[in-house]
Parts: sequence; structure tokens; C-alpha cells
Amino acid sequence: MKRFDCMTKLAARLENELVILSLGASVDEWYNAAPHMRKASLFQQQLGCVTPQAFGLAVGLPDRQIVSLDTDGGMLFNLGILPTLGNESPKNLFVVVWDNEQYQSIGGPKTHTASGTVDLAAMAQGAGIKNAYIARTVEEFDAHCEAGLAANEPYVVIAKVSGTVQPEIKRKHSDGREDKYIFVRHVEATEGITIMGPSEHN
Amino acid sequence: MKQSAVDAVIRGLKRAGVSIVCYLPDSLFKELYPALDADPDIRTIQVTNEGEGAAICGGIFLSGKRAALIMENSGLRASVEPLARMGLGAGIPVVMLMSYRGDMGENNWWAVPHGVTMEPVLQALRIPYTVEREEDKIEQAIFDAYELAYSSYYHTAVALSGSIVR
Repeated sequence: MKRFDCMTKLAARLENELVILSLGASVDEWYNAAPHMRKASLFQQQLGCVTPQAFGLAVGLPDRQIVSLDTDGGMLFNLGILPTLGNESPKNLFVVVWDNEQYQSIGGPKTHTASGTVDLAAMAQGAGIKNAYIARTVEEFDAHCEAGLAANEPYVVIAKVSGTVQPEIKRKHSDGREDKYIFVRHVEATEGITIMGPSEHN
Repeated sequence: MKQSAVDAVIRGLKRAGVSIVCYLPDSLFKELYPALDADPDIRTIQVTNEGEGAAICGGIFLSGKRAALIMENSGLRASVEPLARMGLGAGIPVVMLMSYRGDMGENNWWAVPHGVTMEPVLQALRIPYTVEREEDKIEQAIFDAYELAYSSYYHTAVALSGSIVR
């Protein structure tokens, strides 16, 4: 199962949602798979921060559906977020973990999930997240996207994807700071709120 | 902490517009956590480590709500990676309120490293901070920490020590 094909399926289901996503090759893939979601997606280079940030966003915007696009390496870096999600049970957070069983950005050293015995979905279930599944086909993944985006409790899907990267895709040129401004201005415009307002004096 | 100090912290948080608090409970702030939990205007989220709490606070910032990360100063060391990434990499601020373990008067050997490392770690991350030891300074210190964090879009911290927490 290719990550890019999964992203294309997920992107087709998104319109008003907000997305926080992880580092590595998935950034450029998402940039191309979901061009209509570029302003609504925060591209973050932060191992272990993605799902916690998405959860914080979900807490702050309880009426907005939030999507976390995390990775096996990112989730393994901070497993503590799973029991926090289990206990807090946000109604508006859908978590996808792209599990390619490797640290792809440096050429593919194995993560712990490559052993075949480490089961992130079972760990999520053990943390109190009832809806936690593994998807191994694009059809399974798409069905979980439909269910996860409609769920009223945390929903986690571990997408077992290959280590391949979609060839010849457009690279994102912005850095984390520009990405934040783009994202914040989008949230402000769509929520009718001020997040980064004017100074006292110009 | 005395009830009056707990009240001062909560007054400061409310004056700064904070409605969500992430915390990992510690001993010196023991009386603060149940008071935050009981406050109808503040949502509390207990986390498994302070780095997770920092990242959650970063996400709350992006929602337009105001958050606080409340912890013992040892939690600063656990937060360094997400703080560096969010603050230096993206300009996503986290405001921290921490108890100052390891300050003058510390009587636990295990808390000594917290005092040795806290200020150098804050300085390494270029995080502006104040150390308050008098109760009547708490409210304004917390308010000021938010003013600067939302002007600089960078982290700030307030450490409470002395008779406030002992």
C-alpha cells in the first residue's frame, strides 16, 4: 500500500478540516495529494509533537474536525499521547499513523514496528482508545477515513505503507515559520477569530 | 502552597486570558492542581510528560485559545526538544509556570540537579523568565509572561520559589 494513494483517498474526504502533519517525505506527498488543503495543513518538522499538537488544536476548536497525520517514528517517540487521548477522549480528532516501519528521511533504518511484534493499534487500544485499527489496503484505509472523520471519539488508524516516495512531486518551499503564519491566518479567516493580532502601537 | 498563593496564580492566569492548562503534577504545586481542576473557567489536561504538554500547548495556541504548561522545573528538561522545535523552528509560543526545585533552601538531594540546570537551560533556549519569591508579585509576573510571549511569539517562563512554594 502506497502512502500517496492513501493520502489521495483521505484528501478527497476533506474540506473544512484542519490537518497537522509530520516531518519527512510525507510533507511533500501531502502537499501534492491535497492541494486544496495546503493552507489548512500545518507542516511541522517535529518528531513526537504532531498528535499532541493536533490534540491541542482539537481542544481549542471543539467544533472543528482535526486530522493528525503522524508516523510510526513520531508516535513511538511520544507514546504518552495515547493514554492522554484515551482519558480526554476528544470528539473531533482523527489520527492517521503512516507506518512504513522505517526512518525514511535518512534512508530507511528500521523503526521498532519493523519487528512485526510491535502493534501500535493494540497499544492505542490498551491506552483506552477503543477505535484503533490497522489498515493494509487502500480500501480498508478509505473505510477507516470515512468512519474516523465521522466518529465522536478518538479514532486511530495505523496505515501500513511501503517505504516508497511518490516520484516527481513538487517540493514545498516554505519553512516552519511561514507555514505557521499561513495556517494561523487560515484558522483566523475560517473561524472568525484573532490568533496573532496587532501590537499595541505600530 | 498557601491558598492565597494558589489564588494569585489563578488570578494571573485568568487575567492573561488562559482557559486551558496542561500539567504534570508535582509536589511543590500540590495545592494548585485541585484548585485548577475545580475552577469552572479553566480546563485542565493531565499529561504523561512535560514535552507532551508543551506540544499540546502549542496546538492550543494555534486554536486561538490561551494555554499554560504547569510543572516542576525538572519538566523543563523533558520539554527541551518540543520547545526548541516549536519556538525556534516555527514561532509557536508556550508559556510555562514552574516550581523552582533546587533553589536556596532545597533540602532534597534529588532536587539539586533541577536548580543547577533550570536557568542555564532557559538561557540556552533564549527563553525570557522571571523567578518570583514573593506572593504579591505572582499575578503580574504571569500576566507579563503572556504579554511578552504574544509579542515575540516565543516561549516565556515564570518560576515560583521561596515562601510561595514552601
